[in-house]
Amino acid sequence: MDKKILIVEDQDDLRLLVRLSLKSLGRIVLASSAAEGLEKVRAEQPDLVTLDVWLGKGDSGLDVCRAIKSDPATAHIKVLLLSACGQQSDVEAGLEAGADSYMIKPFSPQSLGEAAAALLAA
Amino acid sequence: MLASPLSPDEAHRLRILIDLNILDTAPDERFDRITRMAARLFGVPIALVSLVDADRQWFKSRVGVTLEETPREHSFCAHAILRDGIMVVEDACEDERFADNPFVTEMGGRFYAGYPLAAPDGSRIGTVCVLDKVPRTLDDEQRALLRDLASMVSNEVAAHELRHAQERRRKNESWIRMLLDHIPEGVLMLDEAGTVLSSNPAAEHMFGADLGGLVGRDAAALFGEDAALLLDPQASASAPPQEGGGRRIDGSAFPVEMHVAPMCLDGRRHYAAIVRDVTRQHEDAQRSRATEERRRKHFTTATHELRTPMASILGFSELLLKRDFDAATSRELVDIIHRQASRLVDLINQMLDLARIEAGGTEGLAIGPVGVADLLEQTLAGLNGLGQNHRIRLELEPGLPALAADPQKMQQALTNIISNSIKYSGEDTSVDVSAAALQRNAKLMIAIRVADHGIGMTPEQQARIFDAFYRAGASPNVQGTGLGMTIFKEIIELHGGHADIESRPGAGTAVTVWLPAAPDHG
Repeated sequence: MDKKILIVEDQDDLRLLVRLSLKSLGRIVLASSAAEGLEKVRAEQPDLVTLDVWLGKGDSGLDVCRAIKSDPATAHIKVLLLSACGQQSDVEAGLEAGADSYMIKPFSPQSLGEAAAALLAA
Repeated sequence: MLASPLSPDEAHRLRILIDLNILDTAPDERFDRITRMAARLFGVPIALVSLVDADRQWFKSRVGVTLEETPREHSFCAHAILRDGIMVVEDACEDERFADNPFVTEMGGRFYAGYPLAAPDGSRIGTVCVLDKVPRTLDDEQRALLRDLASMVSNEVAAHELRHAQERRRKNESWIRMLLDHIPEGVLMLDEAGTVLSSNPAAEHMFGADLGGLVGRDAAALFGEDAALLLDPQASASAPPQEGGGRRIDGSAFPVEMHVAPMCLDGRRHYAAIVRDVTRQHEDAQRSRATEERRRKHFTTATHELRTPMASILGFSELLLKRDFDAATSRELVDIIHRQASRLVDLINQMLDLARIEAGGTEGLAIGPVGVADLLEQTLAGLNGLGQNHRIRLELEPGLPALAADPQKMQQALTNIISNSIKYSGEDTSVDVSAAALQRNAKLMIAIRVADHGIGMTPEQQARIFDAFYRAGASPNVQGTGLGMTIFKEIIELHGGHADIESRPGAGTAVTVWLPAAPDHG
């Protein structure tokens, strides 16, 4: 079955990197801001969202994650947070916001692919 | 001549005499009238109040003698004080103790009668005595008279000591009062119920009361719930100070640190409290906590900023190593890696720069006179690589005095603001750079203004412009580290200057840097 993955990332280079890392796993949808991300979560109903934590302009991926998980229509969607904040407290904050997985930048594209595949298979 | 033996308690006797503080004091009519009376009543030429010191006898009062003191070995009185009661020498020529005494051999003295003077504790400190140049005898009535005179002198000695002690106490008290009036700590004395009995000016000032304005107030009014800390019979002044809250007369609160000493006064419990206003210490602690928090946040942000380009470098290089891409895509990915690696180097350099400037402080600056025109010329030459210098319009007031600045650091600061203006404005707009000399706060300052007609900033963005890694209005793909303005501000402030920013979204931004002119301009 074809899976759908939404990548929410404000930096062009990293959006490309995540896309290349995950493109073998399914159909990729892109968003470059929190608002666009939320809109596409609802419209596209992806199976997995990879979410940058610092989305620029003060927007937080954690808020997007909470919004996804608190809406019954989207709560089932798997969320993988990608963040350059690597402290234990950052990871905990991410999991508390409802994320299914947390990956710290810099990351290996292969590891990201494996983590995403595991979430899609679950 | 036989010198008198010493009494067994001589050391004690001498100390009592010295403590009376009567030796070598000025003549005193209270004593003189007694010696005058003695001379008249006994019909003798000489009457003395003699105090026997360690190696002399000193006359507190004297009739018929000009000497103020004589050696103790010539003293009749030194013998007289050896026992209670009167000592009479009817004819000194007949007494082996005194026959060769200079009073006898040189002054023709023959008769001596002395009665010991008792200090308040009974020590025999000297005598009242009458002397004559003819031999005499004393009948019982005369002996009683001399004893009465001795009692009168002893009373005067006691009165003298009392007056002296009072004077000493008064001085002591004024010294304590002076101390209480001037120490910075507030001192309060409270009764058992917690009512203020007295306070010093520091306490009154601390609580915003007038002179004496704390007396009668309740501890609860001054310390709220913490009054219980004050009125603690178990408290110990040597315990560490307690923290609490004070309340001024006007109702405002302030943090205090206090020592409490319970004590017994006139059979009732009292409390002495020493109170310090620790507002400043609290503010200092808060400031250092804020600094610590800022540093922690800065570290977190710096780590985040370094990881982001590393994610691209590591990620794309791994993809290139593990997968096959067509030539065009490969080239695109290598290009990203190169760009992000450059960004990483920029970040590291700027972070090191900032750290060096912060750590070096003013000592890290090589301040000297710097010509404004030269400085701007060098700055623009450094910016030439951006290919935008044709947009810069330079307008310098003629005859500008030199700046007091580190030329390299100042060039770096100006580069940061001019390149921002270039970056955040349209390619068809100008960037106006001008400089003028102006008096500000009675000092000659040079104002360098960089104004663009670019995107400008909102007040919110302006408020954060100097935050490290903050990039107002920049899309994530615009080149920049977010440290330029932080470094700029640091350099300007180290030079004793400051910057004004005016900005409006859509209209542009103008930064004016105020810097001190070199002192030896002319």
